Amino acid sequence: MADYAEQSIAQTWYNLRFVIYGIIALLLSVVHVVFLNLVSVGGITPDLLIILVVWIAIREGQFIGILAGFGCGLLFDIVSLDVLGTNALAKTFAGFAAGYFFKEKNNELTLGSLKFIIAVIICAFIHNIIYFFFYLRPTEINFSGFFFRYGIASTLYTTVAALFPMLVKSRNTETR
Amino acid sequence: MYRLLEFIIRFKEFIALVTLTIVAMVLMTFGNISQLGGFRSIVVGGIGWMQTAFSWIPNPLALKNENAALRELNLQLSDERAKIRQAIVENDKLRKMLEFKKEHDKKLITSDIIGKTTTEVRNFATINRGENEGIQVGMPVVTDAGLVGLIVGTSTNFSVVRLLINRESRLAGKVQRTRIDGILVWDGDEALSMKNIPKSFDIQVGDEVLTSNYSNRFPANIRIGTVSETRDDGIALFRKVIVKPSVNFTTLEQVFVIKQLPDNERFNLEKDSSQRGIPIIKSLKKTK
Repeated sequence: MADYAEQSIAQTWYNLRFVIYGIIALLLSVVHVVFLNLVSVGGITPDLLIILVVWIAIREGQFIGILAGFGCGLLFDIVSLDVLGTNALAKTFAGFAAGYFFKEKNNELTLGSLKFIIAVIICAFIHNIIYFFFYLRPTEINFSGFFFRYGIASTLYTTVAALFPMLVKSRNTETR
Repeated sequence: MYRLLEFIIRFKEFIALVTLTIVAMVLMTFGNISQLGGFRSIVVGGIGWMQTAFSWIPNPLALKNENAALRELNLQLSDERAKIRQAIVENDKLRKMLEFKKEHDKKLITSDIIGKTTTEVRNFATINRGENEGIQVGMPVVTDAGLVGLIVGTSTNFSVVRLLINRESRLAGKVQRTRIDGILVWDGDEALSMKNIPKSFDIQVGDEVLTSNYSNRFPANIRIGTVSETRDDGIALFRKVIVKPSVNFTTLEQVFVIKQLPDNERFNLEKDSSQRGIPIIKSLKKTK
């Protein structure tokens, strides 16, 4: 009976997971705008939403990853008063790329392994190339110089931030 | 029909990617944030409220920068104080002599910065004054040091300022000493650049750059910054002038919003003229 109740609760949580992703995305967007200045290094901050997008893509698959990327990006464009669509586009591609790391039976293991970090590096890199390209398009700012200064540094910082969820997941998987 | 469904299911990832890319491109082309209307006000208000609630968290790096900047400013101010005293006396005498009308100062709204995003390319600040104090989108923001930016979003009690170091920034400036005009844009770093300035024009490192009378957005003669470098523009006849903003954006705490909006009559006339540029030129030719 107790097992049935536990299973039922687990199932409910599983069904509600998309709502939870949405809430987490909203929280991370707000955290990004309100608090991330406190941990900025030379004006560089980690992109927490990319980590979330990669996490969702590895857990749910490429299709959901693409949708999550678009949704998270659009949300962040609105919250950060950025040019509407730039983050949405860049994160859609990040979600698409992260989808290639999805393996239906091993997704939980992937999240707690170095594969997750590799996925974050690749996706953050792709994201930053697209983001800075479209962001700087209407300006006369040199793309390569700007990208090497901010894009690469941001990718590395995001990767460092991704170590925390990876290590937590890794520990949880080992405990089970 | 079955084949079409099979195709969609098989390539759903690519179809989603292409569709969402198109949607994002359309948003980038047409979807200015200002078109979100009331929703934007909610976002500005919400973020502003959160930034106020957590403004007590100290930022050691910002404090360190602020201390250094204040020491530097202190030295400058003590030097300038003596000069200003002398200038005020001189100015009064000259005004009386020339019977100039005393200029009416623009109304200023004092406000505190409660949140700031000066990371990478998102350079905005949130201030604790909003529509209740009469702040509207388009009003310029300054400090005693110079021009800070422009109000781009408001809610009842908060406003968002787009800082000068932002890709959207484009303002008319002039070199104070020689009155040479140019358009200033953000150069992607911590400075602004004035491009296509003929090499023959007299601009030197250390020259002050002010807002120009040509600007409809900003009042004239507000300090923008100082010329820090001049570079060859690649084109033999021109050079690029690098202007270091006089405002230290990392240590901003208090700002003043100037209660002045762009002159719509002037804006519409200029827009209309630029749209009808060719017919006007033609009619001028005919007159000749």
